[in-house]
Amino acid sequence: MMEKKVAIIGGGVAGLEAASSLAAFGIEVTLIEKEDQLGGHVGQWDRLFPSRRPAKEITGYLTEKLSEKVSILTSTEVKKIERSGNAWNILLNNSRIIVADALLLATGFDLFEARKKEEYGYGIYDNVITSADLEKKFALEGKIRNAQGKVPERVGFVHCVGSRDEKVGNLYCSRVCCVTAVKQAVEVSEMITGCEVFCFYMDLRMFGLDFEALYKEAQEKWGVHFIRGRLSEAFENQDGSVLVKVEDTLAGRPLKMKVDLLVLMSGMVISSGTKELVDLLGLETDENRFLQPADRQLKANETGIPGLFLAGTCTSPKSIDETIADARAACIRIMAYLNQSAVSSQ
Amino acid sequence: MNIEGKKIIWKEYQKEIAEDDYFYVRSCVRQSFFPGSETTFLRILRETLGKNITEHPFHTTCTGIGYHSDIVPYETTMTVIARQFALMTESGYHNYVPSCITSFGMYLEVLETWHHFPEVEKKVRELLKKATGKEFEKPDNLVHASDIIYKFRKEIAEKSKFRLINRFTGEPLRIVEHIGCHYAKMFPSKGIGGAEYPHVLVGLIEEWGGEVIDYPERRHCCGFGFRQYIVKANRGYSIACSQKKFESMKPYRPEAILTNCPGCPFFFDRWQYAISEMENVTYGEDGQGIPVLTYEELAGMVLGNDPWDLGLQTHQVPVEPLLDKIGIPYDPEKKYLGKNGEYIGKPAIAANLKFCH
Amino acid sequence: MGRLYDLLNQDIRFNEGLKACINCGTCTAICPAAEFYNYDPRILATTLQSRDEEQIETLLKSDFIWYCGECMSCKTRCPRGNVPGTLISVVRSLSQDLGYFAESEKGRQQLALKRTIGEWILNTGYCLYPKEIELESHPEQGPVWGWITENLKEVLGRFDAHYNEEGPGIFRKIPQESLDELKRIFDVTGGTERFEKLEEFSRLKAEEMGKEFSPGQKSDYYLHVYNFNNNKHGKDEH
Repeated sequence: MMEKKVAIIGGGVAGLEAASSLAAFGIEVTLIEKEDQLGGHVGQWDRLFPSRRPAKEITGYLTEKLSEKVSILTSTEVKKIERSGNAWNILLNNSRIIVADALLLATGFDLFEARKKEEYGYGIYDNVITSADLEKKFALEGKIRNAQGKVPERVGFVHCVGSRDEKVGNLYCSRVCCVTAVKQAVEVSEMITGCEVFCFYMDLRMFGLDFEALYKEAQEKWGVHFIRGRLSEAFENQDGSVLVKVEDTLAGRPLKMKVDLLVLMSGMVISSGTKELVDLLGLETDENRFLQPADRQLKANETGIPGLFLAGTCTSPKSIDETIADARAACIRIMAYLNQSAVSSQ
Repeated sequence: MNIEGKKIIWKEYQKEIAEDDYFYVRSCVRQSFFPGSETTFLRILRETLGKNITEHPFHTTCTGIGYHSDIVPYETTMTVIARQFALMTESGYHNYVPSCITSFGMYLEVLETWHHFPEVEKKVRELLKKATGKEFEKPDNLVHASDIIYKFRKEIAEKSKFRLINRFTGEPLRIVEHIGCHYAKMFPSKGIGGAEYPHVLVGLIEEWGGEVIDYPERRHCCGFGFRQYIVKANRGYSIACSQKKFESMKPYRPEAILTNCPGCPFFFDRWQYAISEMENVTYGEDGQGIPVLTYEELAGMVLGNDPWDLGLQTHQVPVEPLLDKIGIPYDPEKKYLGKNGEYIGKPAIAANLKFCH
Repeated sequence: MGRLYDLLNQDIRFNEGLKACINCGTCTAICPAAEFYNYDPRILATTLQSRDEEQIETLLKSDFIWYCGECMSCKTRCPRGNVPGTLISVVRSLSQDLGYFAESEKGRQQLALKRTIGEWILNTGYCLYPKEIELESHPEQGPVWGWITENLKEVLGRFDAHYNEEGPGIFRKIPQESLDELKRIFDVTGGTERFEKLEEFSRLKAEEMGKEFSPGQKSDYYLHVYNFNNNKHGKDEH
């Protein structure tokens, strides 16, 4: 087979896995990433559910696998994409043009902007942070302090922030926030002896094989309290602590509580990078504004456009193992496509 | 607390407010308990701002209180509202301005219903025609009276004689703001600043020199609850709601409460008195309670109107301490005089609330 | 589906108020009535959603649906777009039209609302009329109110009112022609019928309870519904 070229936009988990998988078959891969580092969101995290292995194990493994056949372009953005015959011409922001036989979009997700959930006061109250903010504290500081520099005695986790919520226009579930909340609840309990941890949830989506065990550990070993009620409102007290209002629906009573730190489990939304590509390529999105593949069950990595493929969370929220599997599946479809055109061109 | 976060939200919830030529409809509650307010509003709009604002002598209640007490069916309320619009149309106006917040919410709800169910609008037109022979056009612009004061807050500031500053300490006055529930909770995009961080009163306080105090129960209903106040057996709910707010704002030491609804200031004013009688607890400084003001009254105050022309004598919680702080002059002898300056007696003295006589 | 659920569905506000409840409790968390009363808007939504005829009938005859203050705080928060406050209006309307309101202590109070607010609307064109709000039944109004009501004309006159006169102004006299129009609107839209039902069902209930029933605000039955509270409406009482 003549040497084929594939361009991948997005250097997170999906893009990295697809790059090395394709390179292993002799494909020349160009990996385009707009940030100055590879690894996407996972590169920013400390430890991963459910085993709490370090995130660096995943990003390390994926980046080390990249052979010389993969040309890595970080700090690079896509300005324009044009079709010419069967090839893709991709104009980059440094005026370079990449020509490819197939194009894979692995542009991932953005976290829901928590400030849009106005009644939770993110960006207004100092002790209201997101799960990503907390993860950074784990990764970079190795300790947790509230805005006043105090060790929190009570931490609250709010599930479904920006998800399952008509008010912010996101009806869907972001899939991984529940287990992330349980993981972070356990990590906070580990780090701060005697800290009371509360999770305010609507449903606990422990879908993965070891997730239920993590939930059980949170309860048995760490005494994390699970309150079935969606948070209605947060407010900052004079001392900086956060007053929350929720209904304990299982007890059928409204309750008010003070926490020292409130962690919002922000969901996944379509990334700004993906949105740009939607405009550039005229792509279909569904009512949840994620990219719409040709068939979500049978052709999850294909679009209606020949030579254009999708992988990772740009089509729907996924966990890391699901993203890696999805990226590999995309590669199979890309290989089949490239073989086909090799055959037809003979 | 990071005010920049609130500013982003305020910018996102702005709405169009007509420039001039307003059709004004009055509030049953405002007329009853703070009769000076609406007169002040009209005076400010006409004399200070040079606007054209009219009221039709045949306009009635919108029946909002009846609707929310559930004795008046929705179709009845919709048709009464249609009649009000007909009066506006007959007068040649297109910009509708209710004085009452329940009315405001009612009008928005009805317009929204007609928008989603055009067949309902059609039916109401038929019913109105049948009952009164009238026809109506829907308003081009419908805003609450406080929105207009908000729109012209800078003009009012320019013409003001007083600032909301404690002249003894030089500090801005600490003011708590309270928005009527039906202003923004039902349709957040129709309220300036939205439902969570409304700006319509914040803007006034800040423009006129005061400091806005936020506190945990700011969004809590004052407790009117319609039937929960009107029927005596239910009044415990109403006073409990107001008390919850007073207890929550107490540590922040507010010097005044500013509201934009007719009912809310009534409850804050009277329940402070009732709590002082029942439990010998007063809020505010020195046993005098926290003065409660409406946006019309505050505007009139900064513009230098005579406090007794504004109707401050009809408050149960005395406003004089606040007037003293700002430096607004008033004649205590004239407080309880009647319309022609004649002496008409004085209220009795409250047991626990220090009342200025 | 049962008769009551069908009747509820005929009210256009029902479908606006009930999309589908997931029992998250966000509404109850913020509801003032749920704080003080034995009330829970989430339970209202799920009960209606169940379409269970028996449960709905019990609901319409209970105190439960009369606790809400219609502040609409619930509307701002529900992630599914439900509005318990609107559903309350819907069930209260049906409860009154069927006469079920008379079966509960709080429901019976609707007569008081009709004879105060309702009659003031038709007789004066205003929802409230200061002369009618006596200090005796409203002691929380305070001594200032006593002074105001004793000198109403002079006090209102201070603010350029046309109190009880024609022309624009505070508490102007609304012309009889306008009041007639209001009455005709009530007649053709079911308002008058609602008022009549409130009176009739209350009269029957008064008979059953052995209480004197007559127009105005002084009869035994009226004073009972206006004043009586069994003190079992709080959060922990049943």
